[in-house]
Amino acid sequence: MRKKFGEFLYRHKQLEGILYVLPFASLWAAFLAWPVGYGIYISLFDWNPMRGSKFVGLANYVQLFHEARFWNAVGNTFEFAGITIPLILGFGFIFALMVWGWGRTRHGATAVQAILFSPYLLTVSIVAIVWKWLLDRDFGLVQHTLGSLIPSAPVFLTSTAWALPAIAFGTAWWLAGYRMVVLQAGLEEIPQELFEAARIDGARQLQQFSHIILPLIKPSLLFALVLTVISAFRTFGQVLLMTDGGPGTSTEVLALYMYRIGFDYFQVGKAAAAGVILLVMILLLTLLGVKLLGLKSELQ
Amino acid sequence: MKMLRILKRILPYAVMYGIAFLWIIPILWMADTAFKPKPEILSIPPSWIPSHFTLENVMRLFSQWPFLRWLLNSVIVASSVTLGSLILSTLAAFSFARLHWRGRDTLFMILLVFMLIPWQVNVIPLFFTMTKFGFLNTYHGVALPMIAMPIGVFLLRQFFINIPKELEDAARIDGCSSFGVLTRVIIPVSRPVFAAFGVYMFNFAWNEFFWSMIALRKSTMVTLPVGLKLLQGAFEIDYGLILAGAFMASLPSLLVFVLLRRQIIRGFSMAGSGTKG
Repeated sequence: MRKKFGEFLYRHKQLEGILYVLPFASLWAAFLAWPVGYGIYISLFDWNPMRGSKFVGLANYVQLFHEARFWNAVGNTFEFAGITIPLILGFGFIFALMVWGWGRTRHGATAVQAILFSPYLLTVSIVAIVWKWLLDRDFGLVQHTLGSLIPSAPVFLTSTAWALPAIAFGTAWWLAGYRMVVLQAGLEEIPQELFEAARIDGARQLQQFSHIILPLIKPSLLFALVLTVISAFRTFGQVLLMTDGGPGTSTEVLALYMYRIGFDYFQVGKAAAAGVILLVMILLLTLLGVKLLGLKSELQ
Repeated sequence: MKMLRILKRILPYAVMYGIAFLWIIPILWMADTAFKPKPEILSIPPSWIPSHFTLENVMRLFSQWPFLRWLLNSVIVASSVTLGSLILSTLAAFSFARLHWRGRDTLFMILLVFMLIPWQVNVIPLFFTMTKFGFLNTYHGVALPMIAMPIGVFLLRQFFINIPKELEDAARIDGCSSFGVLTRVIIPVSRPVFAAFGVYMFNFAWNEFFWSMIALRKSTMVTLPVGLKLLQGAFEIDYGLILAGAFMASLPSLLVFVLLRRQIIRGFSMAGSGTKG
């Protein structure tokens, strides 16, 4: 009798625990987890919901690997990430050091922090519109100013070489403020005593930076890195609205390429395959980041 | 010598304010363009000070486009995403943090792996999933995937797990059920993390673009970010109109930010460092 009651209680507990998770888990399963599997499924078909789909195995992937435009998009994605990630983190870190280091003793630091953060509150379409306007070939403020300072300055958005870096810079303007806030939180966690001790020992600012700040800020920096890598690889809106992949396909990144062939050319199977590749790429980078961050320890 | 000391005192200010000024130029220029007459928008060299302040761009925006409807759509989508994810994530996080059941840690591990996968990248299958449910062009269609983002569960669980066990035990002895523990012990002490996550989620949903563009295809159903794209779709690029739209769309966020600056930055820094290892 007693044993049975205990069993019921155990089962009851089991049921209770699951019930709390159920509403969230079912939405998650239906709209985030299931589509991942469904995407892999679609990528194996010549997908046509109207006239019936034909199973083609890995043909979509083979086709992608033989397509110059796909590799161009892969290359652009890496080039974009390679430019924008150092810019975002570099600005973010410098801003964080500035507001944290100078802020305590000087007026207006919180206002400066607010200004540097504010672009992050704008949606990607606003960021794209503003930068497209600033870089307009005839009337753009930045384009014109740079053009009169440096006569050999390119027309950024219509140049095959400079359009992607220009979008990467606009992206850095948008996102650096959030990285600043994350890194500043990390800086504030460093105990003040460490700096006092270092000062007594006669450590210079540069030594304080490399021996105290850098090692202790590493976790925050890595977290910001993972965050930034993911957002760089899934970049879509800025490119769509600023150059639409142009001139030619010189700024067509993977997400935009996938959107094009899926929703403009209706090669849904192939687009799904491109999506799977992009997802796997990001997943691998994420797992690498998780490993670096040691997120596993969170489970204990 | 004295000059040098003064310079040393002024320099940090000059650098700090100088950078802040450069950083805010795009926003100022957006506002400037939105209220400038058309001939002055298209002037070479670009001029900062308009001959007169004009509302013609804003009027054109309101008369030609359902801008207020877009604003309403954005408010509805962002609020329901925030509310929905707060409720569902709280329930799930409570179970993951305070209840014991078989499979709990495995499921949480799977969520963790999924957390950092950007689901927007998966638009093609998501689009067909929503088509099957008949959820395209609806508020819930655009909102449900955002509500299901695991980040909230992760963030809240982190916080719940550190609430002292004694508080829970005391409530249990007083006869609280697990739901009572959640509503009377856990939720009241978790207000700061709810605020942080709420801010994060509202901003996310308010600004989400990729999925919203796919899920909302009717021009009266779209949210502000997607609506702004429609402004740009016209045959002749009307910068006055577009920049007026961008300015009006950024106004709510910027106003709220000016009022609640401290809380918002703290929210983002909590949401940011809360997901850190």
